[in-house]
Parts: sequence; structure tokens; C-alpha cells
Amino acid sequence: MSDLLLRNEPDCAGFAGEGAGVAIRLAEPMARYSLRARDAQVLEDLIGLAVPRAIGATLGDMACLGPDGWLLCASVGTVLPSGSDLPVAITDVSERAVRLLVEGPRAGEVLMAGCPIDLDRFAVGRATRTVFETVEIVVWRLRDDAFAVEVWRSFAPWLRLALVHAAG
Amino acid sequence: MMLIHCPYCGERRPEIEFAYAGEAHVARPVDPSAYTDEEWERFLFIRANPRGRHNERWRHIHGCGRFFNAVRDTVTDKFETTYKAGEPRK
Repeated sequence: MSDLLLRNEPDCAGFAGEGAGVAIRLAEPMARYSLRARDAQVLEDLIGLAVPRAIGATLGDMACLGPDGWLLCASVGTVLPSGSDLPVAITDVSERAVRLLVEGPRAGEVLMAGCPIDLDRFAVGRATRTVFETVEIVVWRLRDDAFAVEVWRSFAPWLRLALVHAAG
Repeated sequence: MMLIHCPYCGERRPEIEFAYAGEAHVARPVDPSAYTDEEWERFLFIRANPRGRHNERWRHIHGCGRFFNAVRDTVTDKFETTYKAGEPRK
């Protein structure tokens, strides 16, 4: 990500409906990395960060999305080594997705309007790839009443609108 | 909505996270250049297409992303079991 480039964020105006019990807003830009490795230990040794081993688990800024795939969402400026001589694939996907923050006592309920996972039983600190209606998202439960939703950039305005409608 | 057990995630997940990927245990040719046209035809196009119990591949594409195998009844659409790719036919 270059500082010289103009940022062009998708149209996702914040929403905090009066009495809706939920607020939706676009998060600040982040550095995102897709990490793939058959052996998590190789990845750990290379990047010097602990890597969660169970699918769905998170550790700090890193979520384990599959048996050999992780997503790192860190602050802008985070740079990982490429590991070009190792059997790993580390890809900067910072601009692929944006993050919508869904917060408030009705956050889970609003997300479940389109997400088929039972978020009432989705533990804090868990993250998973899933779908909202037909749009692929990554749901990350930050707190009891706060979810981060990673969604591909071009889908973000639609997802924001769908969530606002669900919030009624 | 039907729930499908993903052997990698270890839990039952909604079916819209999954994609069907054809019959399972179709072995790739070991020596492709030695295959005759008839053998290629059998490998590429001929499938069991049973009425009833069917071993098939599925992919948890909107989840962990992995391919796995499942036994599904093609009449009732019920999943009998799912198992990881590479494990013997069930």
C-alpha cells in the first residue's frame, strides 16, 4: 500500500439508528495478509508471530480460516517477509477487503438476518469465513456485542445497505 | 436449511457455504500419454450416477476452503457421512 495513492473508500456511511440497538461503520484501513502453509511451524518461524492452530481460532490479529490458511489484519504499515524460499504463500491483500464494524446489543441479530451461522453461540475471539445472503464474508467476534465483518471491497456498499435494512 | 458436517472444521455448517464437485474417487491417470481415447472417455465423462448412495466430492468453499468426500443419498438428499480427502471410500 502506497501513501502516494489516493484512497478511494467504498460508499459506506456510518449508521447508528435511534434506538436500533446497533451501529454500523466502516473501520479504518488495515494491512491484510493471506497466509498459506501446510506446516504452521514454518510460518511461525518465518514471521515471528504465534499462529492459531484450530480452524476458527484467533490469536491477536491473526485468524485461522482453514487447515492451511490464515488471515492477518494488522495496523497499516505491517510488513511480513515473503518467505520466497520456503513452502509458504504470503500475500498482501490489504486492499481486497474492507471491514465493517457492527456493534451494539443487536449486532448478532442483525448479522443473522443474512448469515446462516448461529452467532448467539459464536464465542468471542472466534472468526470464520461464511456468507451473508450470497456474499462471502469473514465474521470475527471482537466482543460480546461487537463483530468485525471483512467483506470484499466491491460488495461493501451492498452489505452495508442490507445490514441497515436488517437493523430496521 | 440443510446442515453439512465439514470434516476439517469439525462442525455442521449451512449448505450454502458448500459447493458440489462431482463424483469422488475418480483416479487421475498415472501415465496420461499412454491413455487411449476410450480410457480418456471413461476418465473424463463416464460417471456412476447411481440412484441412492453416492460417494461425492464437496468443497467448503465459503468456509475453510477444503475439498472433502461425502456419502449422500441421491434420492433423499440425506448425507450419511463425510470424510477427509485421501481417506478410503466409505
